[in-house]
Amino acid sequence: MGKLSKLPKLYLAFVFIILYTPIFYLLYYSFNSGGTMSGFESFTFEHYAAVFEDTRLIMILINTIVVALLSALVSTAIGVLGAVTITFIRKKALRNAILSMNNILIVSPDVIIGASFLILFTLVGVKLGFASVLISHIAFSIPIVVIMVLPKLQEMSPSLIDAAIDLGASRRDVLTRVIIPFIKPGIFAGFFLALTYSLDDFAVTFFVTGNGFSTLSVEIYSMARAGVTLTINALSGLIFIVTLLLVFGYYAINRKSKNPFSGVRK
Amino acid sequence: MKDIIRVSVVILAVSAILIFINAKLANTGGASGKNSITVFNWGEYLDPALLKQFEEETGIKVIYETFDSNEAMMTKIEQGGTTYDIAVPSEYAIEKMKESDLLIPIDKAKLPNLKNIDPYFLDLAFDPENKFSIPYFWGTLGIAYNPELLDGQTFESWEDLWDPSLEQEVVLVDSAREVIGMGLNALGYSLNSTNISELEEAADKLRTLQPNIKAIIGDEITQLMVNGEAAVALTWSGQAADMMWDNEDIDYAVPEEGSNLWFDNMVIPRTAKNIDGAHAFINFMLDAEIAAQNADYVGYSTPNLAALDFMDPEVIQDERYYPDEEARNHLEVYKNLGLEMLGTYNELFLGLKMDLQ
Repeated sequence: MGKLSKLPKLYLAFVFIILYTPIFYLLYYSFNSGGTMSGFESFTFEHYAAVFEDTRLIMILINTIVVALLSALVSTAIGVLGAVTITFIRKKALRNAILSMNNILIVSPDVIIGASFLILFTLVGVKLGFASVLISHIAFSIPIVVIMVLPKLQEMSPSLIDAAIDLGASRRDVLTRVIIPFIKPGIFAGFFLALTYSLDDFAVTFFVTGNGFSTLSVEIYSMARAGVTLTINALSGLIFIVTLLLVFGYYAINRKSKNPFSGVRK
Repeated sequence: MKDIIRVSVVILAVSAILIFINAKLANTGGASGKNSITVFNWGEYLDPALLKQFEEETGIKVIYETFDSNEAMMTKIEQGGTTYDIAVPSEYAIEKMKESDLLIPIDKAKLPNLKNIDPYFLDLAFDPENKFSIPYFWGTLGIAYNPELLDGQTFESWEDLWDPSLEQEVVLVDSAREVIGMGLNALGYSLNSTNISELEEAADKLRTLQPNIKAIIGDEITQLMVNGEAAVALTWSGQAADMMWDNEDIDYAVPEEGSNLWFDNMVIPRTAKNIDGAHAFINFMLDAEIAAQNADYVGYSTPNLAALDFMDPEVIQDERYYPDEEARNHLEVYKNLGLEMLGTYNELFLGLKMDLQ
């Protein structure tokens, strides 16, 4: 890639400034001793201390993370199998029909998905709480995983599978030793996308939380009447920093594994 | 394949550890076991220290959850699938919940502390004899203003808003009943009026306020007032208290022609599982010292007469939050006017907003 000239650089800087200003504005005021988002008084860590003292907030944060991890894991497993099945459906019409049904779930508004889950859970008699949130998060993450994995599968040459079968691989071996290693980047991409979708989902979660179980986005929203406290700024700051570390960590691992032997599987 | 399995195992292990930590945290309150109640309240509307104290005193564990609007709360309860033992709706929501049969009558024999509540706040139109609800906090609708930005105007009367010197200075809260109610009050009518000609007169009256109106907005009012970008606002006493907390220049007044008196109340929803625990909680919140501590934390006015002895005398002598008998006589609680009438209010308000553009 050639060096960027001045104008594209400026444009890039401008876009990044617009994207990051709100976050840094929020972070800046998390150190404000004044207690509001207007007028910076003096530097303090007290809002960060308040985050760790508020056990309820910590519990909600943990709830949010657990739901995100588990829902991403389960939806990735289901989504990968779904994508593999879709690829190997022979009838083109059926394949396209299933794919379209998958895509409809992605574009349909969260509010509708959330409301229909609420009605479904009440009908079936599932108590609102951890289970209802987890199930609905898994459900809306699956189509995303499918979409992330499909292109990788389509990229794969069918002769790879033929070769594997010729060499005596069982169907199981084909899946675990040929297909899955090939589409691994897609699987991880799907997992992380599902993770972020679950972490920041508000609309669906809003309908299915209950009985004392809540996630961070729903909790912050319900503070609207009395005003969001700077504790939330501090918490957002902490989450932002952890995300940053994760991204750097991921990047570092990725670079390390790019050594010439990484392609060989044992 | 191997590393995918490895990653999956790590994720499961991390989740298990987090769930374990959460279970530990949930038990730090001093209470554990099966005896628990679930409380459904507005965000930032209860001193969290009191929940711990309640758990220590009674051994009943409190699961606490928050909501942001009466409508959201009612939907959750109406749909079932939840087992809230306590909820805190506003008075108009209680009427609706009563109609939909969503409430359990309160057994007053289990509430010895009910005697602490000022009789003035009991037995009101929305819930005669307090069969279903116990008052939690109350407040008024009035005018918040910043004397620093004005030349000495005061707001003893709604008429003062029409003062020509306030051109482009007045901010109104974006809510039909509040704004139309203000028009009705300014003309000396009841804010529960169902008389169409009175309502239209009120709308016409409000139209003449147009040159003074800077904006009709929602929660942003607090920020505008705090930053000094607006001088006068029609708002609730609770919101005014928030403004004053951040900007000491701001003052609040309830015009003498009358205004709205609002309540948030504790109720026991139909879906409650631990009705004894719910009564214990209500009784705990009615305790004088507890109510005083809570009012101090939340900053709204408490209906608990006995609690006033434990509060900062400066706060309870403040007529803006604790108006005297005479001023109270002019205040009215919203009545449920029915869907059709509410539609009329909304239409008039919409017409008013369109004329503003």
